[in-house]
Amino acid sequence: MYLYLPVALTSINIIIPIGLGLAVGLLSGLFGVGGGFLMTPLLIMFGIPSTVAAATDSNQIVAASTSGTYAHWRVGNVDFKMGLYLLIGGFAGGLLGVQAIKVLKATGNADFAIKMTYVLLLGTVGTYMFFESLSSMRKKKVEEEARPEKESGFAKLLARLPLQTHFAKSGVTHSLLLPVIFGGFVGVLGAIMGVGGGFLMVPIMVYILRMPMHVVVGTSLFQILFNCIEVTFLQAYTNHSVDFVLAVLLLLGSTVGAQVGAVFGRKLKGEQLKVILAGIVLAVTVKIIFDLTLSPSLLLAQAGGH
Amino acid sequence: MNAITKLFVALAAVSYLVLIAGPASAGLTAKANHDHIKIDFFYHGSTVSVSGVSDAGTDLIIKIASPEGHETLKEKGKVGGFLWMNVATLKLENVPNLYSIHSTKKIEEILDPQEMDKYVIGYPALGRHAEMSPIKDEADKARWFSEFIKYKENSKLYATSSGKIDLKKGEAGTQPYYILTEWPYQAPPGDYLVTVYAVKDGKVIEQAESKVLVEQVGIVDTLSNMAKKNGALYGFISIISALGAGFGVGLIFRKGGGAH
Repeated sequence: MYLYLPVALTSINIIIPIGLGLAVGLLSGLFGVGGGFLMTPLLIMFGIPSTVAAATDSNQIVAASTSGTYAHWRVGNVDFKMGLYLLIGGFAGGLLGVQAIKVLKATGNADFAIKMTYVLLLGTVGTYMFFESLSSMRKKKVEEEARPEKESGFAKLLARLPLQTHFAKSGVTHSLLLPVIFGGFVGVLGAIMGVGGGFLMVPIMVYILRMPMHVVVGTSLFQILFNCIEVTFLQAYTNHSVDFVLAVLLLLGSTVGAQVGAVFGRKLKGEQLKVILAGIVLAVTVKIIFDLTLSPSLLLAQAGGH
Repeated sequence: MNAITKLFVALAAVSYLVLIAGPASAGLTAKANHDHIKIDFFYHGSTVSVSGVSDAGTDLIIKIASPEGHETLKEKGKVGGFLWMNVATLKLENVPNLYSIHSTKKIEEILDPQEMDKYVIGYPALGRHAEMSPIKDEADKARWFSEFIKYKENSKLYATSSGKIDLKKGEAGTQPYYILTEWPYQAPPGDYLVTVYAVKDGKVIEQAESKVLVEQVGIVDTLSNMAKKNGALYGFISIISALGAGFGVGLIFRKGGGAH
């Protein structure tokens, strides 16, 4: 059955957005990512204008991450305190990022620099995560949890920062500055690259903040929820690019997908989740590289959007 | 008013009457049926048929177009020899958003090039009519204009066909014609002009016009108006609905989930 989308000004078979929502919602509930990296280009492929695709996706993520946060909160996997500091940093970073784009655009050829940074970042993070989680899976088999945590120089440096506080849910002690700074870093990158940044936030929480994987997923979703509320409102208010009908179709799938993902995720170990996520991050990197190197069928595209 | 003026007025009145009534034997007429397309919730494109009567022995060209406007598009190009990226912004002026040309025979076979340019009939004529920037030279313009056509045809907004107009033999040297065209759902609301050209010996000898109006109605109209005119409320409702849906589905799953 086809429905007409009043803001996108196009017609779509409802099976497409519901199916896409289901798949992306599943990823969201499993790994704590928003899934914009996947959803936005797919919507564009199905004829949705790029600005509408990005804005409507953020509206849909509000629903999926509410559903996912709720599912993870029920089993005690959301660290609200950590989430709050990440949000503060993320908000400031977002504002900074918007200014940074202006500067970058003025220098020209920014597109190239941004895309390259993104590919390198994703590739590095994906590769590191993949091998780290594989090796820790092997270690666990041999040593059976008897892992003496080695204090690296970096960890010692972090421990010396001021304003140390204990995050009970995650069972870690850090300086307050840490989540604010890294939240800010992801916020800047997110604004510049036009992505939510879940792919960077999750590894940062796992490897730098040393939070348990299951709490990472819940906390990341909590953080994404508030980010996307802000983005949805700004897009609707300034660009008029949120398509309500499309968002409803997407969220019909994604809210259910997020619940299924959360239930499924509980059955997997932290290392298994990390390996699969690393695999997806690497696949996305490869996909971007293909997009950049294969000759496009059309040399012209709509202006606006990412 | 002197006698000569009176005579002119009378002549003008008579010729006007003759014009609107048309000569009994000949005269081109055009009518687009289904000329008021309503975009409702279940809209998935439509069809528009154009029919009328022309003089026997004339060829016909039917042009359906939106008013001319401008388009801004991103150009993709190679960076560093192998990476495809958006490298520039292409601006086009005097191009319609929707443009479709249907003719009884191939346009080049029935119409002189000057006439094509005069009435902007066919892609080459549209290309000469359009203003584009930035372009280096004629070859560059031709290359990007053909990319523009590809882009438009891909979204079904530009189309051409020949030999699909159905011609019949009418009474007294007339020739009824009929064509059924697909109306793409990608065409936004607005006024569209249907122009039928009667062609003989390479020249346009007569033309007739009809209109197609595309309009949003019902929920589609309400939502699109609200998105444009009341962005804050629209954004608020979108967010609340998403929060409600996410929370609602969470509750359903808790009840169905059992002993967690």
